[in-house]
Amino acid sequence: MSGTRLTRRALIAGAGATALAAPALASFGAKLGGMIDLALPGGPSLRPTTPAFPGKGEMIVQRIRPPLLETPMEVFREGIITPNDRMFVRWNWPMPTEVKAAEHRVAVGGAVKNAVSLTLDEVAAAGETVEVVAINQCAGNGRGLSEPRVTGTQWGNGAMGCAKWTGVRLKDVLAKAGLGAGAKRVRFTGLDVPLTDGAPQFIKSLPMDMAMRDDVLVAWAMNDEPLPILHGFPLRIVVPGWFSTYWVKMLSTVEVLTGEDDSYYVADSYRIPAQPITPDAKDFPTVPITAMPPRAFITSHTTGDTVALGKPLTLEGIAMGGDAALERVDLVGKGWEIPCDLGPDEGGPYAFRRWSVKLPQVAGDFADIGVRAKNVNGAVQPETLAWNPSGYARNVIERITLRAQ
Amino acid sequence: MRAAALIVALALASCDSSPEIVFKDASLTLPDDPVDLPEGPGRDAVIENCTACHSPSTMLQQPKVSAEKWESIVGKMKKLYKAPVDDAAVPAIVDYMVHVQSLPEAKP
Ligand code: HEC
Repeated sequence: MSGTRLTRRALIAGAGATALAAPALASFGAKLGGMIDLALPGGPSLRPTTPAFPGKGEMIVQRIRPPLLETPMEVFREGIITPNDRMFVRWNWPMPTEVKAAEHRVAVGGAVKNAVSLTLDEVAAAGETVEVVAINQCAGNGRGLSEPRVTGTQWGNGAMGCAKWTGVRLKDVLAKAGLGAGAKRVRFTGLDVPLTDGAPQFIKSLPMDMAMRDDVLVAWAMNDEPLPILHGFPLRIVVPGWFSTYWVKMLSTVEVLTGEDDSYYVADSYRIPAQPITPDAKDFPTVPITAMPPRAFITSHTTGDTVALGKPLTLEGIAMGGDAALERVDLVGKGWEIPCDLGPDEGGPYAFRRWSVKLPQVAGDFADIGVRAKNVNGAVQPETLAWNPSGYARNVIERITLRAQ
Repeated sequence: MRAAALIVALALASCDSSPEIVFKDASLTLPDDPVDLPEGPGRDAVIENCTACHSPSTMLQQPKVSAEKWESIVGKMKKLYKAPVDDAAVPAIVDYMVHVQSLPEAKP
């Protein structure tokens, strides 16, 4: 790996090459395609859009390198499955741009009976093939909408998507090595490594009970296609109901731990306050961000749209239960609420589900209306943002205003 | 109630039978990464110190924050991510970022 580590000189040389390749005057937007306004309070809110990434359709560019691509909200109008070419993309450190299938190995080690190094075919044959439909959502989805604003990737709400994942159970892969005594967590490493010596690698771990779940996968297919390299070819972890920070891409190591995980991205990052806090709070206890809370979105209309006065109106959208099945969705305004009809359960508890509501007659403007999802465990979207300094796990009711004309 | 209903275990027989998936090599070329940092004093310091690990959009998309916050961000890059930032360049980097954030957002 030392070839990929950079000295200060190499870093500068790399930056210089970038600058040469693209003259300073080149405008990001003009170069790439369109522009989209993510309505981030206080801005900057405009982002270029581009179809220039291999295998992707029109995506919102948060960053080219390492890639951060956001799904435009209009994609969620179309169904519960997000097509591969519109699924959001997120890498923390530069992503490897080439993977040779025959050379790839998954090392299973740590507290195991016999450490093994598996070829891709061996991983795929480790157990029965399993499919699960599940939402992959970045822990920071919607961070850019936080008020007060916080630093980090300034996502709108498009760092999420729902796909059918195919693979083998993680527990069957673990069985190839056999769990050793005192196994407590299972940690995953991908091929992506930091550019600098001593910087933390993006490694993540699951507690044993999660790792052994029947629906936690080592997946090789996304919507019946081999995992695209942007999404972690050849293998990625899939943890239905948990944020995608655990869904490690380009899986290369599975390591059984006998104690807590003190690595940076578990012990110091991707954490939320243990109790609600205010923005001026300092030194509060934190817990790792894990299970997703329920969320719902209106996809048929966006804020500022006009609707026909005196006419019936149908609103539609998508919702998710998070780590448990969706129970209900309500349209909420100031002091009123109306239950919405849920669409068919097409993908199971961890998938998007469509909802709709028909209003008999538009009597005037709809100011600050939103939809509120509740899951079968009783978790319900809050009226106000559970603000946290990293902008994680946003699930406040999203509101829009419609003008009657 | 969760798992059983949604998992479709394909009738692919027992362990160690040959799987249906065929793994082929994969590669990708990322699109060009235009350096779109607006002109201004300190721009070169930012290009030199801050664009090796990530595109300039990482800096440009941030909400407006104070000079102290920019200083702490640069500190985080050095301490946590081991960014080899030239200490002498830090004031120029901070001033540049504060300047850029005072500009109106460019409309296309
Ligand atoms: C050694 C690599 C490296 C260098 C050099 C570097 N950064 Fe970063 N920076 C990172 C990483 C890694 C992240 C987190 C990326 C992610 O989460 O996708 C980051 C994130 C950021 C963010 C987002 C906010 C946050 O706190 O995550 C800002 C702003 C930022 N860097 C500014 C800078 C500035 C200014 C410089 C130059 C002084 C710089 N970076 C140099 C690695 C680097």
